[in-house]
Amino acid sequence: MNIVSAARRGLAILIPVAAFLALGSRVPHFLDLSNLLNVVRQSSITGICAVGMTFVIVIKGIDLSLAGLLAFCPMISGVLMLAGVDPPASMAAGMLAGIAMGLFNGLMVSRLTVPAFITTLVVGQISQGLALTINGGSSIGAFPDSFVFIGNGAIGGIPLSDLLLLAFLALGFFIERLTPLGNHIYALGGNETVLRQEGLSAARLQFFVFGFSGFCAAVSGLLLSAQLDTVQPTQGDAYQLDAIAACIIGGVDLAGGRGSVPMAVIGALIIGCLRNVLDLLGIHPFMQNVFIGSIIIVIVYLSGVIRRHGELATRGTL
Amino acid sequence: MSAPVTEVVRAGAAPGEGGAPPTRAPAAGKGRVWIAAGGLLKLVGRNVALLIFLTLVILASLFVENFAALDNAEVILKQSAIPAIAVIGMTLVLMTGGIDLSLGYVVGLASIVSGIMANTWLWPAPAVLAAILVLGLAVGLCNGLITQFMRVPAFIATLGAGYVLYGLAQIVSQGSIINRLPKGFLAIGRTPMFGLPSAVFLALAVAVVFHVLISRTIFGRQLKAFGFGARAAVLSGVPGARINVSVYALCSTLAALCGLLFTVRVNAAQPNMGGGVFTFEVVTAAIVGGTSLFGGVGSVGNSILGVLSIKIIENCINLLGVSYHLYLAVQGAIILLAIILGNLTNRRA
Repeated sequence: MNIVSAARRGLAILIPVAAFLALGSRVPHFLDLSNLLNVVRQSSITGICAVGMTFVIVIKGIDLSLAGLLAFCPMISGVLMLAGVDPPASMAAGMLAGIAMGLFNGLMVSRLTVPAFITTLVVGQISQGLALTINGGSSIGAFPDSFVFIGNGAIGGIPLSDLLLLAFLALGFFIERLTPLGNHIYALGGNETVLRQEGLSAARLQFFVFGFSGFCAAVSGLLLSAQLDTVQPTQGDAYQLDAIAACIIGGVDLAGGRGSVPMAVIGALIIGCLRNVLDLLGIHPFMQNVFIGSIIIVIVYLSGVIRRHGELATRGTL
Repeated sequence: MSAPVTEVVRAGAAPGEGGAPPTRAPAAGKGRVWIAAGGLLKLVGRNVALLIFLTLVILASLFVENFAALDNAEVILKQSAIPAIAVIGMTLVLMTGGIDLSLGYVVGLASIVSGIMANTWLWPAPAVLAAILVLGLAVGLCNGLITQFMRVPAFIATLGAGYVLYGLAQIVSQGSIINRLPKGFLAIGRTPMFGLPSAVFLALAVAVVFHVLISRTIFGRQLKAFGFGARAAVLSGVPGARINVSVYALCSTLAALCGLLFTVRVNAAQPNMGGGVFTFEVVTAAIVGGTSLFGGVGSVGNSILGVLSIKIIENCINLLGVSYHLYLAVQGAIILLAIILGNLTNRRA
């Protein structure tokens, strides 16, 4: 067991570092500071989504509503901002919409026992439909400077997007390690019976986890729109797979109970590096999707193998 | 719901002291009403798809102008033919408790590949048809083998596969759309028969075959048993692996057929055809048709009623001149409604 978990931990850190250095030596301009900062900036969208997604996957769920929310929430804020509402209030409205959609996911999962992948798929579809309907299917743009600054500005040379990612990483880490809430979330994912015996409500945790994921989706959608200075109603499509891939690459286990926010953010950075390198090598984004789609399947397979191996080892059959 | 149930038990249990099971004992007074209500609920539960369909037809005929016309019915039938083929495959997969999120992307890949075969390679129509079915089968086998033997959850395996297929379709097409397909190829779905294009009858034929497969064969029974409880079914000798792999294979094969028929219908092969939107439409139709997300429950007829229902809604949205984009959101609301209804009437503890 110790060997397995040590191998797991070791591999999870060694492989990316090795790959990173190997790529750096092979691909021109990859290790340039400006390029690396750019990678982090591009990864911030995926990374913030991955923070929320981590908790969802830890409780054996999945959030497929990201694609819709990443467009729907900024669309609300964007329309409000163009209507003359001041940016903070508009952004708050977008975030509230994200939280509401997330809480609705939580409601469906906890009270109606609908599988998470279905309810989130449906909520994603509804959000996508609404995002398209709000502005008749076209993009909006030309937002106030203060909003665009969030996406493109920098404080002390560090892009604001990177700082926001760091803030969410800290928030996720804080919830995960330093609050009872974090313990309960892991308990729900690992062994629900224990949680119930402790007299804790699974429903309340599910509400929190899906609501938080909705919040993360809203923030990263807003950040994306701030970076691009547009809200495009289908802008979320590309990021959903990446957010799931980030968690899975970061070792968050689809079987629940295992995974951590920092590793998921590292997963997001890995995805960011991968896309960046493939871009630098001139490989088309469609081909990149082929890679990332395959990687997800392979890693889920491997982590399943490792998990079953571990279970056999703990049972003493191995 | 919990109050009526206890009422039934209490009413039935009083005379049943001699050891007779409480449910068999004669129910008196208030209890009988509840049992009747329960029976009605069960009847509704079994025919939710038909009920939704009829309600929609009646509402639409009453409130939507130009809905109740023969040529509008023809339009709905034509539009339902292709999703009806896809929903059959999805129903099979849902019946095992899985899901196939790659369905729409198989459609896109099949579309562009069939266009290339028919237009660039000048293959005869039957050869294209056969090749596309084989393509679908191959993709489905991959999905099935990954979920069954690599033990990757179905929604992840098919989600990943979907992105791979979408990428492949885009790469194969090199970003272009193939128009003006040969006449022989178009004849597959466009030959007029009794005033309707042959695609409708093709869908009907597929539906009959799969209806028989699900309700009249050993495979169908094993599929239901496997869906209700995979472990129990496998322990009683049901070949679980074979069933699990074959449903994905069948689903993708049917999806590939849909891709070809879509290509024929719009006379253009394009990699963007189908996609996530089509997958979602098909899942919605299956669930509106009463297919359980937890496996075991599903029927070809009901799923096709589900397709007709959502196509009626799409039709009404068109006739009312409401934005098509709203249709996506409305579909989501419908699927939620169907799930909640299904949960109330068809609860499986």
